[in-house]
Amino acid sequence: MLETVLFSFFALTSVVCALGVVFHRNPVHCALLLVGVLLSLSGLFILLNAQFIAALQVIVYAGAIMVLFLFVLMLLNFRQDPDVLTPGAAKGFGFLFGLLVMVELLWTALSPNGGEGGGLPAAPPLPADFGSPAAIGKILYTTWLFPFEITSILLLVAVVGAVVLAKRKFA
Amino acid sequence: MNAMMPPLVAYQILAGILFTIGVVGVLVRRSALIIFMSIELMLNAVNLSFVAFSRQHGSMDGHIFVFFVMAVAAAEVAIGLAILVAIFRKKETANVDDVHLLKG
Repeated sequence: MLETVLFSFFALTSVVCALGVVFHRNPVHCALLLVGVLLSLSGLFILLNAQFIAALQVIVYAGAIMVLFLFVLMLLNFRQDPDVLTPGAAKGFGFLFGLLVMVELLWTALSPNGGEGGGLPAAPPLPADFGSPAAIGKILYTTWLFPFEITSILLLVAVVGAVVLAKRKFA
Repeated sequence: MNAMMPPLVAYQILAGILFTIGVVGVLVRRSALIIFMSIELMLNAVNLSFVAFSRQHGSMDGHIFVFFVMAVAAAEVAIGLAILVAIFRKKETANVDDVHLLKG
């Protein structure tokens, strides 16, 4: 019962905040609403026994990435645009395409044999350390060691690229 | 483990709704920064889906994928915002409709 209540609360908060991100006029409010989405998703991660991922979500996403967003937002000092949505037929096509994507995703989630959402048995009992940092670290540094090292190179490239882009003088 | 847990399909529907909101945001907003935020929204919807499937199957590989998605998202935001700052310095705007150098 408690899980259902918490799920409904977090799901509702995340959807409302997500709509705010897309349709709010002020970019700073959009960024703060995005933080709301990220925090409610971390609540859902805890409901799904993913404590480590929930902590990462708060620290990396709601912390580091959103600070970067807000920093750029305040650095560049965007002027308030009178019409935030793209004008003309492109907007209509945007909403139409969004509707199509929604129908397709819900169709897949709800179909009994296409998606996995249909008549699945109840989730199996989980080991006691499911989702703990120790268990994740163990498979991260054994099974997934090579992708992990590649990720470190990716982050290095991103750091170097950001510095180069920020330093270059554009005529 | 717990019979009262919301079923997997509830998480899938929520992830689908969040992903759709992100898609609409990318398509209808004009500010490059908001488009970035909508992309983050889509990545998070996929992360939720990964974690829900991980819970259903009792395997932690989905958590590892979410870990990598977060790393890639961090790299993407760092580079993307650097590009945005460079464009803003040159054109004094972050509006994607006004950046059409390649349009001829």
